[in-house]
Amino acid sequence: MVFDFTEPARQSPKGILVIFGFKAFKFLKSFFILFVAYGISLFQNNTIGISPTVLGLGFVAFLVLLLIYAILNYLNFKFHVSADDFHLNTGILNKDNTIIPKSKIQNVYIKQNFLQQIINVVSLNIETAGDNKSEIEISALDKPTALALKKQLFAREPLADATKEITKEDEVFFRASLKRLLLEGVSQNHFKSFLIIASFMVGLYSEFEKYLEKLQLSERIEGAVNFDKQTLVNIFIFYLFIALLLLLVSLVFSVVKTLIVNFNLEVVEREHTLEINKGLFNKMSLTLTPSRIQNLVVKTNRVKAYFNLYGLNVMQAMVNKKQQKNFAMVAMEKEQLQHLIQKLLKTYSAATEKHKPAPYYKRILWLRLVVFFAILNLPAYFVFGTYFWMINIVFLCFALLYVHVKFKKAHFQISAEHISIGSGFIETVTNILEIHKIQALKLQQSIFQKRNGIASVVIATASKSVVIPYIKEAEANEIYNYLLFILESQDRDWM
Amino acid sequence: MFTNLQLTPDTLPQIAQVELHPIDKAYFKIIMINKAIIYGAGFVALVFIKLFASNIAMQSNFWYIFTAFVVFCVLNFILALLAFKKRKYALREKDVIYAHGLLIHKITTVPISRIQHIETSRSWFARQLGLATLNIFTAGESGSDLSIKGLSDAEATRINDFLSTKVNGGV
Repeated sequence: MVFDFTEPARQSPKGILVIFGFKAFKFLKSFFILFVAYGISLFQNNTIGISPTVLGLGFVAFLVLLLIYAILNYLNFKFHVSADDFHLNTGILNKDNTIIPKSKIQNVYIKQNFLQQIINVVSLNIETAGDNKSEIEISALDKPTALALKKQLFAREPLADATKEITKEDEVFFRASLKRLLLEGVSQNHFKSFLIIASFMVGLYSEFEKYLEKLQLSERIEGAVNFDKQTLVNIFIFYLFIALLLLLVSLVFSVVKTLIVNFNLEVVEREHTLEINKGLFNKMSLTLTPSRIQNLVVKTNRVKAYFNLYGLNVMQAMVNKKQQKNFAMVAMEKEQLQHLIQKLLKTYSAATEKHKPAPYYKRILWLRLVVFFAILNLPAYFVFGTYFWMINIVFLCFALLYVHVKFKKAHFQISAEHISIGSGFIETVTNILEIHKIQALKLQQSIFQKRNGIASVVIATASKSVVIPYIKEAEANEIYNYLLFILESQDRDWM
Repeated sequence: MFTNLQLTPDTLPQIAQVELHPIDKAYFKIIMINKAIIYGAGFVALVFIKLFASNIAMQSNFWYIFTAFVVFCVLNFILALLAFKKRKYALREKDVIYAHGLLIHKITTVPISRIQHIETSRSWFARQLGLATLNIFTAGESGSDLSIKGLSDAEATRINDFLSTKVNGGV
């Protein structure tokens, strides 16, 4: 089958359905609370002036309008590929003509959400290093067309290179088994999902407080639990119970989330690129070009390290937070991780000398904690009464552990081409970047640090800033000069 | 040609030895005007409280609050004055350096080869005083962008031209 993208073409007609479905879903999502509120008020037989028939008719009219919009949107969406550029014409009333030079394309990825899986189409996203608005999405193509288009977009040097790419067999380098994904989910830092669940509960509760009161649910709950409010111990046990329950929920939440997002995670190794495929409801496939990578972040923690689970995040320029998550490869073995790093950064070696921050770093960590906990003493007084100072014992134990672990994990390595910086408390995080990807350098020093001869070096790349924290001033100056020298004496591009 | 000389820390160009230029003194007037507007707004708010607030606690402690406000303004002003002297910049063959900050001193260096575009902007006050702000943008997040405020018009144009030719001409 030959694909020709030289003439302006529309996407598959199924695109109408995808656009329509997507818009309708978005609408339902944003007005969900209103619908529920209306439903409840119907349920209680107090109409708010709008009868169900009128509302139903309005809804149908809205859907028809949405359908017309989707059709017009589809008709006015045309794209084609010329020798060097990708062209796109869009707009129903305001016509837009977008041209992206192939050489500036940072990412092309293929996604398939639930609806698209049902009607068997995929969407193709094209991303540049510009701001988020410049991203292009073609929402319905059949898979062979999408793959062919992707190939065309990546084919920079015609023919010669293209044939070479084909000769090498694509090899699935890593496939995450269900067991490893489960382990990955369980061994996560659950505090994050705990916070998500907790804030979700609080949000939900305040939203439905009125209705709950009407349904007299709160009294039923209180009647069922019936705890003795007199004693401090009971209150404590009650809160502990709630906390444990939330923790359990968040555990399940993280496991399910990990499974859904990373379902069938697969890393395919090509001659010059890497391809990541994953997802259950939102399937996606993306291709990584080593030259487009700004930072690598290796993540693990104590439990994960025990199970030999390592994660690798790939950071590119100006990719938004939501997209960024897609570049994460999880549940890999250590050897696989090292192989990948070697593939992405050819000359990287983890064996260079490790340097530590100055002991002053510990002092800063202590200071931060003390200020934070001192403030926490005040609410503690209101909760626990005169015994509030006891929480400081817990704080002290935590602080000792925190400072020790934080300092132990902090280190940095600098070689002729790479910088790697380790940090973390629960997680062990290692940031690796190539020196020629640096955009700017900052030497940072407070007046207290100046007196102690301490400074920090902030290294900014196009994707994120990393810090070498609290080292000796002379050392900081040396690093600063050295990095600038390497950066400016070479004529290497950052992209 | 590939060379691989051994590097000793002392032979590298030293950031500490770069002679940094202070920014135009006239810029302090702009800082003063900005501060005056903020202090003035605070003062007016306090006067309104004195005249119209019916809260007794507020009225009886008014002079304490007022004194605290004045002390804050004076301290803030002294800090701004001292910090002003720390605002310095320098151009080297291959990079732009900007230093600022009193309590937390920062020296930022952007290599010219990493500059994406340059912009000069002049506010109304700045135009009256013949000043300009030079914004230097790099790729990616704003953390690596540089903004040198309070350059004289001529200096801003000179730097702008210098950097533009370097960025466009390559090397």
